[in-house]
Amino acid sequence: MIPDKINPRLPGGFNLPPFGVHQILALIIVCISLWAVGTLWLGMQAASQWVGSWQDDIHIHVYIDGEKSDITKSLEQELASIAQVSSVRRISQEEAARWMQEWLTGGGLEQHELVKRLPVTFELSLTDEKSEFLFADIRDTARRFGAQINEDEVNLAQVHDLLSQVSYLAWFASLILAIAMALIISNTLRMTLLARADEIHLMRLLGAKEWFVRTPFILEGMLLGAGAGVLAWLLLWPVVLGVGGWMATMQVDLNAWVLLLPLLFGGGIVGTLGAVIATARVVSRETSV
Amino acid sequence: MLMYCLSAASVGIQSFCLHVVTFTGFEVTVFRMSSEQPLIHMQRLMLRYPTGKTALSGLTLDIEQGQFVYLVGESGAGKSSLLKMLYGGVRPSSGLLVTQQIDMRDASESRIRDIRRRTGIIFQDHKLLFSRCVFENVALPLRVQGWKTERLIPRVRKVLQYVGLEDRLWSYPEALSGGEQQRVAIARAMTANPAVILADEPTGNLDVETARSVLDYLMDLNKQGTTVIMATHDLHLLKSHPGRVVQLHAGSLAGDYSEY
Repeated sequence: MIPDKINPRLPGGFNLPPFGVHQILALIIVCISLWAVGTLWLGMQAASQWVGSWQDDIHIHVYIDGEKSDITKSLEQELASIAQVSSVRRISQEEAARWMQEWLTGGGLEQHELVKRLPVTFELSLTDEKSEFLFADIRDTARRFGAQINEDEVNLAQVHDLLSQVSYLAWFASLILAIAMALIISNTLRMTLLARADEIHLMRLLGAKEWFVRTPFILEGMLLGAGAGVLAWLLLWPVVLGVGGWMATMQVDLNAWVLLLPLLFGGGIVGTLGAVIATARVVSRETSV
Repeated sequence: MLMYCLSAASVGIQSFCLHVVTFTGFEVTVFRMSSEQPLIHMQRLMLRYPTGKTALSGLTLDIEQGQFVYLVGESGAGKSSLLKMLYGGVRPSSGLLVTQQIDMRDASESRIRDIRRRTGIIFQDHKLLFSRCVFENVALPLRVQGWKTERLIPRVRKVLQYVGLEDRLWSYPEALSGGEQQRVAIARAMTANPAVILADEPTGNLDVETARSVLDYLMDLNKQGTTVIMATHDLHLLKSHPGRVVQLHAGSLAGDYSEY
């Protein structure tokens, strides 16, 4: 019979070592790192949604001098023949002038003069703006007819390239932070291992198997990482709630739930990796193992 | 009550094991060797440490099951090195050492672990875990062998009853005297019913009376069938507790007195 207030803590196997101040510090540091990773990917989610909200409706405009009216029909046909162009709409100078007057809210421009000075505009709707040579094809076609493409619109349409570059950077930053977290957990467990060196040595002298000696530390690393992951996820909510209203104005609806499992399992994997590094060379004096 | 069981098939050579239920109530598993196979067999055994120091040189010795063997000799004679070799702490550099039917030079790590599970070790500094209570210390060998906590408690209680520390089950070692700590170490060494107990100067830090009582326990365990090999400087104990004396000098066998 075990008396009250006595809780035998037998070492080894699936029994976790006691949780001390080192572990709490490691938990906080890893939690902050995972929170940074979570915030980074939340930002990627927001950027992706923001770009997607207007990129779905993007049009490219090609301009040609109104005096070259004989070749505009050919240009229109050529532009329409590009595979990723779904439709080409010709905007007359009159329509453009009218739009411009509205945009300038009655700028006092002479409508007739404006029509004479404005080019003929073709508005291209695209099926796949991510296509590799689409913009080069449009640009080449326009140049052949002496027309010009709106390069600012092209740059905006190609922002997904920038996003994918940023995404690589986000992965790289996550990897670096994961390595740092693994080393922090490894260092913490290393201290625990050193503090419990006598116990480990004794267990080996008594014939303990290696898994029996190392499992508590591997479990501790895994739980430390997974716990930090859940804490980091909880700490993302103030961010989501804080910027939610501002994001909504940009048609961005942040979803923190999708980060729960990645942070939980990511933290667990990083913690396990740290524990494996820490226990890789746990050699006891006087024992050959 | 004696119950014999055949274990030759499992070990692959001529031997059998004996379960003896002693007057203290413990069931001791004793590995009986055939007449040609002593429990421990050494032949021209040599141990040289990586530093170049030769700890043992040309040692030829047999230890039969059930013997009480004192290892005596000056400091640095090789007593502790020999004990370390017997539990696989260090491997022989050359020669032959067969312990409980296992050749220690070529034994795999799992075989070494098997040896350690069948061997109780008592140290001069007893190596108790001071952050753990007496129960946890004594239960450790059984825990290593996979016993569940519920099953451990009666066994540990019984062993501590034997060494007279039943009431200190939940105390911490720092609350115990030196003699009591050494008795806890004895309890830990015997709790898994080992075939051999290796004791490295277990009475070194104790006064004469306490040392004598510690030796009483070891003698009693020996009478129950456990082989005890004990390194010691306390030669006066040999008068009251006779046994086979193996004398080492500078790593070599200087004398072997079967009954001192």
